[in-house]
Amino acid sequence: MTEAAPAGGPASQKAGPPASAHTGFLRIREELPAWKGWLLGLLPVLALLGLWVVVTTGAAEERVISPTILPSPAEVVASFPLLWFDRAVTRNLAVSFTRVVEGFALGVALSFPLGVLMGAFTKVKAAFTPLTVFGAYLPIPTLVPLTLSLFGTGELQKVMFLALAFSIYLVPLFVAAVDAVDDTYLKTAYTLGATRGQAVSRVLLPISWPDIWQAMRLGFGVGWSYILLAEMVDVGRGLGGIIITSQRRGPREHIYLVLVIIVVVAFLTDKLWAVVGRFLFPYREAKR
Amino acid sequence: MEEQPKVGPTALGKLILFLFVLGLIAGAAYYFRDLIAPGGRDRGAQVNMDEFKKVEAPDTKGITTVSEYKYVPGEKLPPVKGVSAYKWDAKDKVVNFPINVWIGWLPIVAANGGFSPSADSIFAKKYGFKVNLKLIDDPVVARDAFAAGESHVLWGTLDMMVLFAPDLMKDSRSAPRVFQQVDWSSGGDGIIVRGAIGSVADLKGKTVVYAQNSPSQYFINNLLLNAGVQPSTVKHKFTATAFEAAAAFVADKSIDACVSWAPDIYNIPDKVKGTRVLTTTAEANKLIADVWAARADFAKDHPEVIKGLVAGIFDGMDRLADPTQREKAYQWMAEGYGMQADEVRAMAQDAHSTNFAENKGFFLNANDPANFERTWKNVTFVYRELGLIDTPVRFDEVMDFGALQELDRAGSFAHQKDESRASFAPTSYKKISAESPILTQTIRINFYPNSANVFEPQHDESGKIVPNTLYDPSVAATLEKVARLVGQYERAVVAVVGHTDSSMKGKGTRVEDVKLLSTDRAEAVKQALAKKYNFDPNKFTVEGKGWDEPANADDPTNQALNRRVEVSVYPPESK
Repeated sequence: MTEAAPAGGPASQKAGPPASAHTGFLRIREELPAWKGWLLGLLPVLALLGLWVVVTTGAAEERVISPTILPSPAEVVASFPLLWFDRAVTRNLAVSFTRVVEGFALGVALSFPLGVLMGAFTKVKAAFTPLTVFGAYLPIPTLVPLTLSLFGTGELQKVMFLALAFSIYLVPLFVAAVDAVDDTYLKTAYTLGATRGQAVSRVLLPISWPDIWQAMRLGFGVGWSYILLAEMVDVGRGLGGIIITSQRRGPREHIYLVLVIIVVVAFLTDKLWAVVGRFLFPYREAKR
Repeated sequence: MEEQPKVGPTALGKLILFLFVLGLIAGAAYYFRDLIAPGGRDRGAQVNMDEFKKVEAPDTKGITTVSEYKYVPGEKLPPVKGVSAYKWDAKDKVVNFPINVWIGWLPIVAANGGFSPSADSIFAKKYGFKVNLKLIDDPVVARDAFAAGESHVLWGTLDMMVLFAPDLMKDSRSAPRVFQQVDWSSGGDGIIVRGAIGSVADLKGKTVVYAQNSPSQYFINNLLLNAGVQPSTVKHKFTATAFEAAAAFVADKSIDACVSWAPDIYNIPDKVKGTRVLTTTAEANKLIADVWAARADFAKDHPEVIKGLVAGIFDGMDRLADPTQREKAYQWMAEGYGMQADEVRAMAQDAHSTNFAENKGFFLNANDPANFERTWKNVTFVYRELGLIDTPVRFDEVMDFGALQELDRAGSFAHQKDESRASFAPTSYKKISAESPILTQTIRINFYPNSANVFEPQHDESGKIVPNTLYDPSVAATLEKVARLVGQYERAVVAVVGHTDSSMKGKGTRVEDVKLLSTDRAEAVKQALAKKYNFDPNKFTVEGKGWDEPANADDPTNQALNRRVEVSVYPPESK
């Protein structure tokens, strides 16, 4: 059947969506060249920046929002050298990044075996589901005093706090990833004489790897929102320390700068996860 | 198929090339390491202890007790520009006044009859506006609400104001104006130590935990600097709040000391073995001042409201003198904080409310050793030396005693007398020095040979006095440094111990004469302090050690070090 078929009959409706879906500005599942995608993504950012400029232009007393609440973009940029040199943002970033990585590694080491076991074995799942549900509703900040009394105030506490937070986030995702493996694969494996161990290691795991990877990618991004909580204690080194200090002592500009830095770093690491993921699971890309 | 002739480097060659490029990048990164990842401002910078003295311009005329500022606050306060930016309903007239959990706010709670705006409050009845007390415990949130014009008032200690002021003053409308001192922390803040730490000097090389950018930080670093301990020789651990500092101290045995608040500072020594209170604001009872500041634009537009707030808080203090009213106020406060009345009553000793007379001393008496100006400058000094602030704000850009002066002229609170001055019974050096001092400050005054006059003039070659000169030109500044410490430790007893050098040892000089000279010199320091700053002479005990105790046992003939006066602060004798 061709596109030119006369409209009206039920057959032509089955053949494709009405013409309106293909024309106009917004088209469903439209093919978009990369540059256009970038450009469209840039527009809201620019609009936001523009708004920021508008509400923070003029003398301090004439602005829509006072500089004591929101400094102008120019002021934020101008405070960058101070942040870079006096407050050693790169070193603090390295400290925070290391903590996230360590906490993440430990968190994965905890949550991966548990998640896979829960995904594979119903009894394990039944046993641990209440705990994970409890964890999902647990306000993470309440873990700070707990880890404090268990692990002291040093690096250990921060890494353990992050590891706990990561685990709570990751376990349900890992379970879901293993859960999502189609029964057909298992049945086929059993037909071929696979043992229980083989079914897990040769069927469930390999098939769920891409989803597990995706879960870790999401989890790592979330870690950046936990790092500030982790660095509430023994403040001093790390980006959290810079934010707390800037809130109390100024300049306010640094709060916004650190937020931007966190977003940029999180964005870059996310892209890295994506690139490595594409390299590891090329078939994943083809599927879509 | 024929193999393609290989072009380009081999696998090994590629590897070497790769490593070479990597090495170049690493080398460049190392070379520019200070640019890529600078180490930050050196926190461990050596503090020049002599700078302590230079905060105050030396003044040689000395010896007056009350000297009021002559200027009008408006001359020094930064002018307000633009259109006022706070929220205000001219009909309702409700002042948004955030407070934290702190017993010092009891007078305003009493005056307001609770937390919510009320037509029955002193503010409404006497001064024609209402006050809405809001619990905002987080200082950063309180500051943001103040900056945004949501609240008209900012609570805080003076040391917090020093840190907040530069940023708030970027907008002249939200510049803070401090009109009133509400209380001195008087036991509410303290330092707990573990193990064998006997005095502040023992903290050298130890780990201390406290909330950064808070009164705790000012408290401990002021002590360290006064005891001659470089803050960089102490390991500082920071937490976001004082509660976390106390929790960290309890949890982590490797932490030797902690600065926190009541009730933790009193509970921990009871519960955790081997810990004790080193010092609290019960002794350093004029160190941490709680004040409130108003937005500059609000103060400019509504001077009558500001005056009413100041007066109403003093009225509240009057009201608290009545026990039934006091009980009521505890109840109101408990309701506002969501606590039990007993818990609030238990905080009663944490602060000393500063009445009208004490506020006058704090704001207006230029010679008060613990007045606004000195407290502000001392805080500024401590924070600047720690590298925490760059361009400090002057005290008179923030302090506004206009409302106080008006009330003074009207005589409204003439009945409130200064109750903050501790009284001392005469005591002996032997008695007080049985315990170890909280801290010892070593000062150097260059005495003219064989003279015990701190204000000794210079002598010419023939020994004749040169008028209008001083043998030690920095003596006033040195005394100022001592006076501040002694003033902060208003309730503590102070030993002034004189030492001489040993240059005449074994040259026919009698030991008794040397002892007498060192005693006279210590006595002279005491007299100079008591006169100029109006200290109770009984607060001091005097001792002369002669040449018996060299400053440095390893270098006993370092005579420049040996000629010194040591000022030691001891906890008050059991009350």
